[in-house]
Amino acid sequence: MAKEIERAGIPVAVISALYSLALTTGAPRVVRGARIEHVCGNPRLSAEKDRDYGMRIIMTALKSLQTNVTGPTLFDPEVEMAGMAV
Amino acid sequence: MRHSMKLELGTFPVRDVVHGRVNSYLNGVLEIDKRGLEAAILQDGRISKVDMEIAKPGESCRITKIHDALQPMVKVEGQGTCYPGVCGRPVATVGTGRTHRLGGITVMELAEMPMYEGYDSPVEDFVDMSGPAAELSPLSETINIGLRLVPDKGLSILDQNEATHSAALLVSDTLAGLVRSLEPPIEEVFELPACDPALPRAVYITCIRSSEHYSASVYAFWTAIYGLTRLTPPWLLHPNELLDGAISAGSPYHGPAATSWVYANNPVVKEMYRLHGRELAFAGVIAIRTRWSAQFEKDITSNQAAKLAQMAGASGAVVTWDAGGNDFMETIRTVQACEKLGIKTVFLTGEDSPESGGPPLLEPLPEADAIVSTGFGGHANRSRAPLPKVERIVGFETIAENIMLPKEQVSAREGTQYFRGRDVYGFTPLSAHDY
Repeated sequence: MAKEIERAGIPVAVISALYSLALTTGAPRVVRGARIEHVCGNPRLSAEKDRDYGMRIIMTALKSLQTNVTGPTLFDPEVEMAGMAV
Repeated sequence: MRHSMKLELGTFPVRDVVHGRVNSYLNGVLEIDKRGLEAAILQDGRISKVDMEIAKPGESCRITKIHDALQPMVKVEGQGTCYPGVCGRPVATVGTGRTHRLGGITVMELAEMPMYEGYDSPVEDFVDMSGPAAELSPLSETINIGLRLVPDKGLSILDQNEATHSAALLVSDTLAGLVRSLEPPIEEVFELPACDPALPRAVYITCIRSSEHYSASVYAFWTAIYGLTRLTPPWLLHPNELLDGAISAGSPYHGPAATSWVYANNPVVKEMYRLHGRELAFAGVIAIRTRWSAQFEKDITSNQAAKLAQMAGASGAVVTWDAGGNDFMETIRTVQACEKLGIKTVFLTGEDSPESGGPPLLEPLPEADAIVSTGFGGHANRSRAPLPKVERIVGFETIAENIMLPKEQVSAREGTQYFRGRDVYGFTPLSAHDY
């Protein structure tokens, strides 16, 4: 699906817990998510830290949409958003 | 594997099973006391109702709602208990000493309930004893003693599952016990003596789903290794442990190919044993649990499986798996991790139907360059071969119209529009042709 939407000229970011599968199946921008059960969050964190954690993932996805890629590329929120204040 | 592990296996072929006044085995005929066995099962207050029926090859008969099929066997000498760990049985390491088995029969656990809390559809597996679906399962060629079991519905799902499995084990133990002190017609010795060091060493890697992540329970009843159903790191097992039932208890969805009987009669184990000392040195079995829910856990599993294979001195590996999409990731990455360490792999797998428009494997990694296909019969919603009407039902009168939608139940006797058959262990003639 990501590839088809991208082909129509709309950039796509896939947030995935199983990001290696997204990469090998050809999704252009893949953002590293947490787990299948909670892709954009971590229930073991406090509510405040969980919000920050989720925001880093979402912000990484938005940043990736503004990045030109030539092939399947992994964006890691912990790297992209290191030190980000949200 | 340097230490020696020797298992003497005595097999007593059963050519017929008949009802009688006592339980006995004589000249290949197994006589069973239906009332006595049913009464013994009902001694366990967790079971409300039981009915025992026999299904034989060639009959117009469909066995429904199969939770498991047990290979009746008993430890005669040496430590441990066959099917260790499940339902509170001892966990002493098995695979040594002497085991006696009844050949050509199974004890089938039939029950209308799910495998874990929170999943409200019954387990759906069936076997046809004749007709077009028969060849999809090796259990159409065995005489099956079906136990239609109704547990106390006031119990938790876990306890209901343990109760029905305990009942099946009781019958399996009782029948196998009949040949405990007899001289077996077939004697085999399973051990892995040192052989020509020039022969390539090969491991068997079996990938087994755990339900822990999606049942959200560490206690859900499912395929167990020494009774453990949880997600665990890779295990290094001696093939004799499999012959004694160290991997056991059936799992739904996988088709009848992943019952206790299948693990105890796994053709990959038997063939690698046959080739030991001739074409290869059988270096052991690695069992991994699949369906972890985070990438790093899947990567650890694959990396550690490959590392164990390397430490076992393997230069080759045969890889099988059960089923699933999620589960495929640890499996294919184990293939990849082995190949990266220079361990050549052969991957035994079904394929996804070409009608889906996708690739034949969920993630066709280039390292998986030697594949034995068992076809794409796993897709009930696409195979569209009708399941015919039958004369007799053993088990329950309804069956899922489509195994992917178990809530939609239709008459088991009448059959359905769909069926699927999965055999990833190589029992049946299922395969794929390239046109």
